[in-house]
Amino acid sequence: MQLHALCRGGLPSPRAIAAALTAAFLLTGCGGDDTAAGKGAADFARLDAFPSTYSIEQSRPVLITGATLLTGTGEMLENTDLLLEDGKIARIDDGLKAPRDALVVNGEGKWVTPGIIDVHSHLGNYPAPAIESSQDGNEMTAPNTAEVWTEHSVWTQDPQFSLALAGGVTTLQILPGSANLFGGRSVTLKNVPGRRVQDMKFPGAPYGLKMACGENPKRVYGGKGQAPSTRMGNVAGYRKAWIAASKYKEKWEKYAENGGEPPERDLEMETLAGVLNGDILVHNHCYRGEEMAVMMDIAKEFDFQISTFHHAVEAYKVADLLAENNVCAAMWADWWGFKHEAFDMTEANIAIVDQARACAMIHSDSAVGIQHLNEETAKAMVAGQRAGFDIGPEHAVTWMTLNPAKALGIAGQTGSLEKGKMADVVVWSGNPFSVYTQAEKVFIDGELMYDRDDPARQPRSDFELGIIEAEGERL
Amino acid sequence: MTRFLIQLALAGLFALPVHAETVLIKGGKVYTLSGIGTLAEGDVLVRDGKVQAVAPSINERADRVIDARGKVVTPGVIAPQSELGLTEISAASATNDYAVSGESIGSGFDPRPAYNAKSTLIPYNRAHGVTRAVVFPSISTWGEGAGKLHRVFAGQGFAISLNGDFDSVVAEELGQKAYLGELGSQLAGGSRANAYARIETALSEAREYLNNREAIRRGNWRELNHSLDDLEALQPVVQGQQPLIVTANRASDILQALELAEEYKLRLIIQGAAEGWMVAEQLAAARVPVIIDVVNNLPISFESLGARFDNAARMQKAGVTVAIGGPGYGSTHLVHLARQSAGNAVVYGLPYEEALKAISTNVARIFGLEGGVLQPGGVADIVVWSGDPLEVTSYPEQVLIGGEPQSLVNRSTRLRDRYLKPEQGHEMGYKF
Repeated sequence: MQLHALCRGGLPSPRAIAAALTAAFLLTGCGGDDTAAGKGAADFARLDAFPSTYSIEQSRPVLITGATLLTGTGEMLENTDLLLEDGKIARIDDGLKAPRDALVVNGEGKWVTPGIIDVHSHLGNYPAPAIESSQDGNEMTAPNTAEVWTEHSVWTQDPQFSLALAGGVTTLQILPGSANLFGGRSVTLKNVPGRRVQDMKFPGAPYGLKMACGENPKRVYGGKGQAPSTRMGNVAGYRKAWIAASKYKEKWEKYAENGGEPPERDLEMETLAGVLNGDILVHNHCYRGEEMAVMMDIAKEFDFQISTFHHAVEAYKVADLLAENNVCAAMWADWWGFKHEAFDMTEANIAIVDQARACAMIHSDSAVGIQHLNEETAKAMVAGQRAGFDIGPEHAVTWMTLNPAKALGIAGQTGSLEKGKMADVVVWSGNPFSVYTQAEKVFIDGELMYDRDDPARQPRSDFELGIIEAEGERL
Repeated sequence: MTRFLIQLALAGLFALPVHAETVLIKGGKVYTLSGIGTLAEGDVLVRDGKVQAVAPSINERADRVIDARGKVVTPGVIAPQSELGLTEISAASATNDYAVSGESIGSGFDPRPAYNAKSTLIPYNRAHGVTRAVVFPSISTWGEGAGKLHRVFAGQGFAISLNGDFDSVVAEELGQKAYLGELGSQLAGGSRANAYARIETALSEAREYLNNREAIRRGNWRELNHSLDDLEALQPVVQGQQPLIVTANRASDILQALELAEEYKLRLIIQGAAEGWMVAEQLAAARVPVIIDVVNNLPISFESLGARFDNAARMQKAGVTVAIGGPGYGSTHLVHLARQSAGNAVVYGLPYEEALKAISTNVARIFGLEGGVLQPGGVADIVVWSGDPLEVTSYPEQVLIGGEPQSLVNRSTRLRDRYLKPEQGHEMGYKF
């Protein structure tokens, strides 16, 4: 088995990834090292504050027969069977026998991939309909709002979740917006219906911290006559906050060591300190190459790891530096021109980053785009081929599966078709890198959560009931 | 070469008739989207900027022969809605000329003098197969003065060829654009009804002006709500010579627009039509075409609760002429993605050739432009695709505009070639 892209440079082999199910490894995400766990006794991440109540029990085994598998580990296996059991990938082989009571899916002519993972989404915090009272994604009241947790904004009845599911998306990270230097915590969700956001929370997934470079923070606060109003103001803002967070962390470490009066909790500092001790992953909205380079130096100055640059339109300019620093880049296939920092777009962006042996992935930031990430990946793959790189579907699929899993620190659990991983699986009508191909069946933890052929297995949110015709569904 | 010859001719140095380069495209699968139909393998001969012949086999000498075996040949893509040449960077206000905010002219606004043929968006979209585009202004609902909006007319449109020439405007005063629905409501002070009333008042005053021009111009008339410029601009609309584009998404808003068209005998085009499938029969009966965003299937507002992927298929089946624009999220920079949208429409039931027409033929027909078909005498805006033009893995290998082979280089390919192997140092600054 060969691993092509992923977070190369110092990360373990795929076998090791599958095996390394330790919390320490899972929490580091793309580019992390595993020395963080145990450092500092304080629980800055507070994983138990709003604990995940997600649970799916696979009701019966699933056998997909004779399909073309893109494993997400660099392999394309033709005419192969895939068995899902107890919510896990159980076997990949030829001529597997269906267990009793199994749901057998005839995979002839079908392609199978790991579930798509979108590392950048605003479903739930910028839901549809986009009315004024539902714009809960961006706490635009101060340049540092590291204290907000975006899960507290997620409207679980956003009808866009099920549209993304029909596009094959099984896991997604919901991020706060980019108005602030520190936007707050992200949350990683499984794409399942839920009454509470806790019912959707990916069990054990680390939190992320949203940071933003460039135009947005300086425009929003500069426009109010406040700092930051320049890019250098942005950087001063980050560094001040990291200095404060380092002190906060130290205070708690001393308390853990010496006891005495416990320091006062500070929600903002907790999130930043969680980054410093490696429990919380930095997801950094950053378009420009030179700004990414500056951010990577800030990470060195304060000894933390950036997981991923998002909207990294200029990642290709610094692809070698990304590889060197073990930082991922999440990119679009072709979006550009909406602002100056998005002007230097090249469609070969993902491919160039990938070929420089950095960890590259597609992302959407769009409720439309999230439904077509296979098409977007296809465009990026072809742009790479046209640039002269040898990139096939078996490799490009990692851009929408295993690499985003790495970025989110959940690659030990999902993102590839490997024995023991969560059975998050999409059965496609054909080659997923075609505009004509549709996700036909989407399994999450082995359970059929979307079936194109069966309206009864197509979830609809509360919002959609009786919304156009009192007795009908929206679609 | 062609332009060189024309310049010589204009300079009077050349008395002979001008002959452009002839081009023979051989052996491709040719979708003519005309009465000629589709040729599984065919040749297209181009002379003097026009298609001279389309046939299974053409044995004529040509200055340039393009081997299109295994490729697909279609008319160039025509964008039904864009701001090409009027914008460079959306969030850099100085580079934008497509919208005026606050108190200003309405229907009289013609952005044509602001058109910039050297915009970087033009070679980029050309490299993706767009050969012509319709350009319309819009109304900005943000920025200075946005609070006192009161116009529902955005102004007039024009059409361009994407060859990047200074004289690439191919049609002016193409139509007029106005807003109904949620945006109309916002512009008109808070109710759709008022947006409707404003459009109706403008049309009614335009008629009044038509019948009493002399007296009104002399000032011997009641005070009107619109400037003479605005009323002049609306004359071709009320006389049925120019289409009126009305944005509307909710089914009831579309029906309201149809009523207006009936009353004023308008050539109406509906832009948006997210719930068009719910009133497809009425649209078809009124022979009102639509410009839609296929991939926006989100119930993103209460006026588009019925948005769905098969909107295009359902309307086409009912007999509505459908034009597919680029996805709204991509703005004008990515108008070429209309072909990806058209591919998506096929998945949800739009017949394949109808999808090709929706990004070319139908746009030309709706706006009365040349192009959109390959037939003798027609303008030679042609794309040779690496494969199925609606497939995301295909791309243009040759683009002809007015018979001239175009460069497919653009900033995206320039930047790619500079950074194919990014590395430390300063040499990239010397790599062009």
